[in-house]
Amino acid sequence: MKSGYEFYKGLWDENPIFRLLLGMCPTLAVTNAAMNGLSMGLATTFVLLGSNIMVAALKGIIPDKVRIPSYIIIIATFVTIADLGLAAFFPDIYKVLGLFIPLIVVNCIILARAEAFASKNTIGMSLLDALGMGFGFTWALTLLGSIREILGMGSLFGIQLFGEGFVSWIIFILPPGAFLTLGLLLGLFNATLNKKKTQCG
Amino acid sequence: MKNPIARLIIVLALISVGSGLFLALTYTYTIPHIEANAARDQEIAILETLPGAVSYQELEQTDFPIYKGLDSNGNIVGFSYVVEGGGFQGIIRMMVGVDPQEEKITGVKILNHSETPGLGARITEPVFLDQFAQKSINDNFEVKGDVDGVTGATVSSKSVSAIIKQSLPQALEQYKVLGGGK
Repeated sequence: MKSGYEFYKGLWDENPIFRLLLGMCPTLAVTNAAMNGLSMGLATTFVLLGSNIMVAALKGIIPDKVRIPSYIIIIATFVTIADLGLAAFFPDIYKVLGLFIPLIVVNCIILARAEAFASKNTIGMSLLDALGMGFGFTWALTLLGSIREILGMGSLFGIQLFGEGFVSWIIFILPPGAFLTLGLLLGLFNATLNKKKTQCG
Repeated sequence: MKNPIARLIIVLALISVGSGLFLALTYTYTIPHIEANAARDQEIAILETLPGAVSYQELEQTDFPIYKGLDSNGNIVGFSYVVEGGGFQGIIRMMVGVDPQEEKITGVKILNHSETPGLGARITEPVFLDQFAQKSINDNFEVKGDVDGVTGATVSSKSVSAIIKQSLPQALEQYKVLGGGK
């Protein structure tokens, strides 16, 4: 039961974006299209998976005093692998995400999971935690990207949804659109969660 | 281990060495693919800006990259050059194809840019870029006069025009001096 929760919590109860509000930099910057959100989410999931497993495996060896530098080296290694891998095999996605891939290294979710979870749990649990958090991050980014792409360009995953007459709201693919969309979604999430709480209590 | 400081150093060093080893392996494995991608992108850009060309050669000792395009019989159809200049938010890098005999532009392609998504970024669309093709090299490329700019992105559109206008004489001169043929 507990292991199931370690996976599930990242998707909803402790969703990194909607509940923990971690990793706001990529969240706001790359979600101007659904595809960008999805690719960024998957790249982050890969790094999270690698770093959580490594940190959990090495937790007995790494001395407390140098744990943060050690985690950073581990995370940076996986980020560089993701960067090179995307450049080699997905050049089109790499062109769009470019700068934001190296920036995964400073994404708080990854260091937070290493410090708060992987350093205290088994490899198996850390793997589930990374998957849950990664997919939670991915679906949230994809949702944000979809909303912004539909309103800002009239398309979803590059496919035009409306006819010629559609006037796109350019603001939604510009930075203010990221704040507007995220703010509205956060409000919505809080409203539904609070409702649940009052019903329970 | 008794000495805690030594332990710190050894563990950190080991992690770094392991990381370096891992990265070296990844790099060796991915670099051929990355280079192939870059070469393919360059070839596509050169051939797209020079209609009729099937292969290209790089001219040597130029101030900026110049490639001459050859058709299937080995005849020169023109040359393409890479040029960059300031846009609205950053550098715009592009490939410009020129037919020196007919003194006209054969095509323009944006290689990279950091213009506003949805606005300035639309300078990469053919609707805008195709306007430059077939224009004389002596044209002014005036936005709103000779070419229609991208809606909501006047600065980006003007930048593209200005970069082409400014770089053309230099590119032509280099091409002639270095014996581009013809």
